[in-house]
Amino acid sequence: MEEYEILLKLDRIEKRFPGVLALKSISLDVRAGEVQVLLGENGAGKSTLMKILAGEHEPTGGTIEVAGRRVSGLTPTLATELGIGLVHQELSLVPALSVTENIFLGRMPTGAFGRIDWKKAHADARHALEALGVAIDPTAEVRTLEVAEQQLIEITRALERGPRILLLDEPTSALSDSERSRLFDVIRLLKQRGHGIIYISHHLSEIPMIADRVTVLRDGIVVDTLPAAEADEETVISLMVGRQLAEQFPKRTVTLGSPALAAEHLAAGHALKDLSFTLHRGEILGVYGLMGAGQAEIAGALFGLQPARAGTISVNGAPVHFRSSADAIAAGLGLLSRDRRQSLVPMQPIGPNISLSWLAGKSLLSRLDLPREREESTRYVADLRIRPASTTHNLFFYSGGNQQKVILARWMSSGASILIFDEPTRGIDVGAKAEVFAVMSRLVAEGASILMISSELNELIGMADRVLVLRGGRISAELPRAEITQENLLRYAS
Amino acid sequence: MTADKNPDLAAEAAENRKARLRGMIFQAGPLIALVLLMAYLSFASENFLTFDNLSNVARQSAFVAILAVGQTYVILTGGIDLSVAAISALAASIAAVLLTQPLVLFGMDFGYVPVPLAVLIGLCVGIVAGGLNGWLISRFQIPDFIATLGTMTAFRGAALLVTDGLPVPSFNAGRQLPEWLIWLGGGQIFGVPVSALIALVCALAGWYVLRFTTLGRAIYAVGGNRAAAHSAGISIARTKIMTYAISGLLAAIAGIILVGRLNSANALMAEGEELRSIASVVIGGTNLFGGEGGVWGSIIGAAIIGVLGNGLNLLDVSPFWQRIAQGVVIVVVVIFDQWRRRTMTRV
Repeated sequence: MEEYEILLKLDRIEKRFPGVLALKSISLDVRAGEVQVLLGENGAGKSTLMKILAGEHEPTGGTIEVAGRRVSGLTPTLATELGIGLVHQELSLVPALSVTENIFLGRMPTGAFGRIDWKKAHADARHALEALGVAIDPTAEVRTLEVAEQQLIEITRALERGPRILLLDEPTSALSDSERSRLFDVIRLLKQRGHGIIYISHHLSEIPMIADRVTVLRDGIVVDTLPAAEADEETVISLMVGRQLAEQFPKRTVTLGSPALAAEHLAAGHALKDLSFTLHRGEILGVYGLMGAGQAEIAGALFGLQPARAGTISVNGAPVHFRSSADAIAAGLGLLSRDRRQSLVPMQPIGPNISLSWLAGKSLLSRLDLPREREESTRYVADLRIRPASTTHNLFFYSGGNQQKVILARWMSSGASILIFDEPTRGIDVGAKAEVFAVMSRLVAEGASILMISSELNELIGMADRVLVLRGGRISAELPRAEITQENLLRYAS
Repeated sequence: MTADKNPDLAAEAAENRKARLRGMIFQAGPLIALVLLMAYLSFASENFLTFDNLSNVARQSAFVAILAVGQTYVILTGGIDLSVAAISALAASIAAVLLTQPLVLFGMDFGYVPVPLAVLIGLCVGIVAGGLNGWLISRFQIPDFIATLGTMTAFRGAALLVTDGLPVPSFNAGRQLPEWLIWLGGGQIFGVPVSALIALVCALAGWYVLRFTTLGRAIYAVGGNRAAAHSAGISIARTKIMTYAISGLLAAIAGIILVGRLNSANALMAEGEELRSIASVVIGGTNLFGGEGGVWGSIIGAAIIGVLGNGLNLLDVSPFWQRIAQGVVIVVVVIFDQWRRRTMTRV
């Protein structure tokens, strides 16, 4: 065995929240100069663990050692002093402040009488950004920047505090391929300098690119830690879900029926310029485009959330004009929006979240059908394997994948037959993904139609009958199932 | 609990039970606080736990309690209604003027308005004034706070116009306030104040609507996550307008009862009561940002404020100190509530 310098050692960390045991027993160590990829399904405890390390939560058991010294009562300040830096999964920037102010938040360089030395601040910020190979104006207001740029600023901020141990919680979820490779270059650089890095990801394809070791969490325990060379996708997935996934993409071929939803020359927002398509009964029609190609506007325009600038929409062959989402729901549409948080009422349990779609178009004075709500929520919890299997906990306590299942249940219960799935698997884990795909297959087999807007190549290849590729707000290609390949999708998109 | 003693299923279940129990205690926090307060006062003052005194507290708290029911609705949607007390005063003034004076419009004398119609008009004024709040907020996208701050002032002005700035009934009034109205405000059934019973009925109706109707669900959805409510096809504007109209109606009911209790109305009555209604709601555990809470908590909140005031009176605490005590209670309760939310939160 080689000798490594252990930067961080966790021993049997436990974290208990009221009613939930989030971490049962986590033991792992981080060596100097390694990237340890932390994998696990949603709800496995990754984010909780990160927050414990960053001093935001206190563990209810176990010990933490930083550089051989036992640490207790970790606070965010102490964590920073010990050289632990965390890049959050959710952006935690102040939108109205400049890039510089965000990078040096609370630590702006000051001159005489505590005056902020703006010249130095901006120069330092520019320097820090350049080290990452990022060309962002330090004086720009953060809210004017793209999400990907904001993510890079977040990383810059963490690095600027000189951490020895860097925790990255899904840093690439909002990044493009080129931005990601730039980030990876920076990570490799940090590695060489002897930093230890914990990297959380849902993208198994990133393991060979960056990982030295892979640690898999499941249900609050460490299942295994293995060298990257041994962590092929199949092994990792079976460790994560604790069972072999029968089939990641349970695609069923369904005979197509009559047109369900059609759009002619649809234009909406700034990005979507001209979109025409016909979605048939029993079909999964994929839509692919790079960031800003117009795919983000489609769902809102079709669902009556955002007025279309031009074009017509028809449902079952008849032209429709949706003034609000209530009209769209009445016409049999359902929407899984790209940001889950836009669809959930977090402080309510499953029942009210499912029955929300029944309220559309109803008189405010009408009575709720509470027995049906109870009955359906119990049924969908069992049917979609929603965990925890409780109809009394607020949705807030559920993992992303399970929250997504609740939204699926909402539209299944409302009897929607035309479903718009906008990034249906964003931020959910492998196991839940497969379950979402299985539900999609089942829905189309039952005669529904699905418009699947996605930026995940694999899932389009696995699930779609046809894919429309968008470029600059217009359709650049329509690929039949046989021609949906990574190369084709990327070629026509860029 | 240490990690090497890995919890088996029984321990897990016990832990869950404990957590649920803790959750229930948290939920019942305001009620426990009220009981403790009352227990202390019964020992500290022999006059406190008497039927007369408690019925007096109930009569005095009824007004704020009714306002608090409407305020709960508004706060559940994530709004705030600063104009409730002003609506009370406006509705009460209009009703009182119609009840005691001949109706004169544009120089034309319409004679006395029938008593039930006068009261009905008062209630409608409440609904319209509240609906106006909701309409302003949703039509022009202005913050609830600002909209109701503006209408609060304007409604008081309208009430001053209606009453000419004089108490109603004035000395030269032609007609007296009806006996039954005075009974509503000050009377009792088997010793229980009628106004407290009305407050209870309002709370019951408020609870029913929140629990069993589409409107109730829409209110929680709009307050819990506006975007989700919108994309699920719930009309935010209609929900808001309804909510404020209900708040206005309850304010009018409270105002008219207050006229009965005081045997008089004036444009500046119930000043500051909007803040007490908000305090009741917050003490009762409703989240100021919306989406969480309910009517019963607010009723308990109103009771806590009422009992506290009464108790301090009985203990001969100076009114100045009473105000300080009330302020402290509000802040302490909210601190407790925040702490509760933090410990119940899993991120």
